Amino acid sequence: MPPPRKIAFVSPRFPEGATIGGAETLLRTLAGYAVAAGLDVTFLTTCARNHFTWANEVPPGTRTIDGIRVHFFPVDSDRDIESFLRVQERISRGTKVTLDDEMLWLKNNVNSAALINHLKTEGATYERIIIGPYLFGLTYFAAAVDPRRTVLVPCLHDEAFAYLESFASMFRDARTIMFNSAPERDLAARLFGEPMEKMPVVGMGIPPFDAAPDAFARQNKLTTPYVIYSGRREPLKGTPLLLAYLDTFRQRTQRQIKLVLTGSGQIEPPPSLAPHIVDLGFVDEPTKRNAMAGALAFCHPSVNESFGIVLLESFMAGTPGLVHAGSAVLQHQCRASNGGLWFRNYPEFEESLSLLCDQPDLRRALGAAGRRYVQSEFAPPRITEKLLTALAG
Amino acid sequence: MTTTTTTPIFTIGAEGIDTAKLVEEIRQAVAEKTAAGRYADARIARAERMNLVNLKNEEEFIDFYLAGLQDAIFVDINDFEIVERRARLGSLLVALKKTIWKLLKFYTYRLWSQQNLVNGLLLSALETTEHRHRTRIKDLEARIAGLEKEIRNPKSEIRNKSEFPNE
Repeated sequence: MPPPRKIAFVSPRFPEGATIGGAETLLRTLAGYAVAAGLDVTFLTTCARNHFTWANEVPPGTRTIDGIRVHFFPVDSDRDIESFLRVQERISRGTKVTLDDEMLWLKNNVNSAALINHLKTEGATYERIIIGPYLFGLTYFAAAVDPRRTVLVPCLHDEAFAYLESFASMFRDARTIMFNSAPERDLAARLFGEPMEKMPVVGMGIPPFDAAPDAFARQNKLTTPYVIYSGRREPLKGTPLLLAYLDTFRQRTQRQIKLVLTGSGQIEPPPSLAPHIVDLGFVDEPTKRNAMAGALAFCHPSVNESFGIVLLESFMAGTPGLVHAGSAVLQHQCRASNGGLWFRNYPEFEESLSLLCDQPDLRRALGAAGRRYVQSEFAPPRITEKLLTALAG
Repeated sequence: MTTTTTTPIFTIGAEGIDTAKLVEEIRQAVAEKTAAGRYADARIARAERMNLVNLKNEEEFIDFYLAGLQDAIFVDINDFEIVERRARLGSLLVALKKTIWKLLKFYTYRLWSQQNLVNGLLLSALETTEHRHRTRIKDLEARIAGLEKEIRNPKSEIRNKSEFPNE
């Protein structure tokens, strides 16, 4: 079957300027590949930018951004936050909830009636509607409009929400489900039992770049080695664990190691670690890449990842990864590339980081292996080809 | 406060890296050092509380902390070797310490034995209560799931009605 000509993407936010979540960045990147391949692409999203407040910040309407026609719709303001949080807390604690409660949670999740109405009236003009990530009311209700045209990009994690009956039916009904990595697809196969033909692995392209390993330390007058983490800082991303482990590592080993952070979100470091953190907040891409290139390791402590964009970027910068073994995806990327190590607990973290400190040859070899892996597996033309094949299915 | 130094135990060249093998070697090294007491450290226990893998659901969360409590509740009340680092008057100081310990031993032994008893009883009560609640919640969840299934399946409703035509 030839690839479709006219498609729409649906995501709760559209990344513009500073990086918004990985899933949104993924969808925007895929939309860009589709535009470059000559497809007629529309991106349907909300006016929200902040994933805590979901306030309507961007004016509603249509704009063309980098060749992508983007429709901004307002987020519904009539959410019953109290009911939403009550059910969400029970779900996240692993307590079984009824279908009625699931629906209550979805209805009071992030939604946009205007966007859903647009899909109901105009949906038939799109040959494929690519929707993600899975964990939003908007995704659930958008996927229900026309499941035969729906291509899910779930960015699935092994978390309590993935076990909800509502999401199981959404996965079952969708035409195609596109995954970012083989472990993510394996998880879906285990949870929903859908046939593999319906579940292609596409991923996201990582554009090749060269970075200057010494530039960042020179500019920031850093004289000691450092590990780096880039991305959102929140408990689910494991940043409190990274702070606790690194503080313990410094105390136990007496090694002078700093932590460089880029990205958004608050951190509460232990007082003994605070003077040794270089928190850059949002930085431009060249600065981030140079910071990655000069690091001892890119430490990714999250156990909830479906792809690990920043880990792959650090591989491209020639820096090894040090990731939490609890993330099947991050562990897979390190294992498949031979570009990083993984730890289950503090003692393994200490051994691994000590090894990277003491053996520069090993560090360089891991970094080079990671870079080769990203260059061969995640070259944008290769991902475009996979995307078009998946959309044709 | 003790510090540790990690001697490099791996010699890896630039070619032919197998990270899976490397991680396996790291785990073996950790197992050996753990057995030798190198990781028995309160700072590690504190850091480990942030490890989300241990806290994936309520049951694992409680299991994790109960296991921690089991390891921690009993105070070591056994006798121990009395030593003296200072060479000068070393044997005299050791004799003095031994005498003081002999005088105090009876009282501390009684005190810590009672504490161990209380700790053990409290943990047993906590484990029993937790087990009872866990079983009860599981039964209730299974019952809710069964009721939900019945509500969603109209056939069973019809069958039930036909089985009891007079109701």
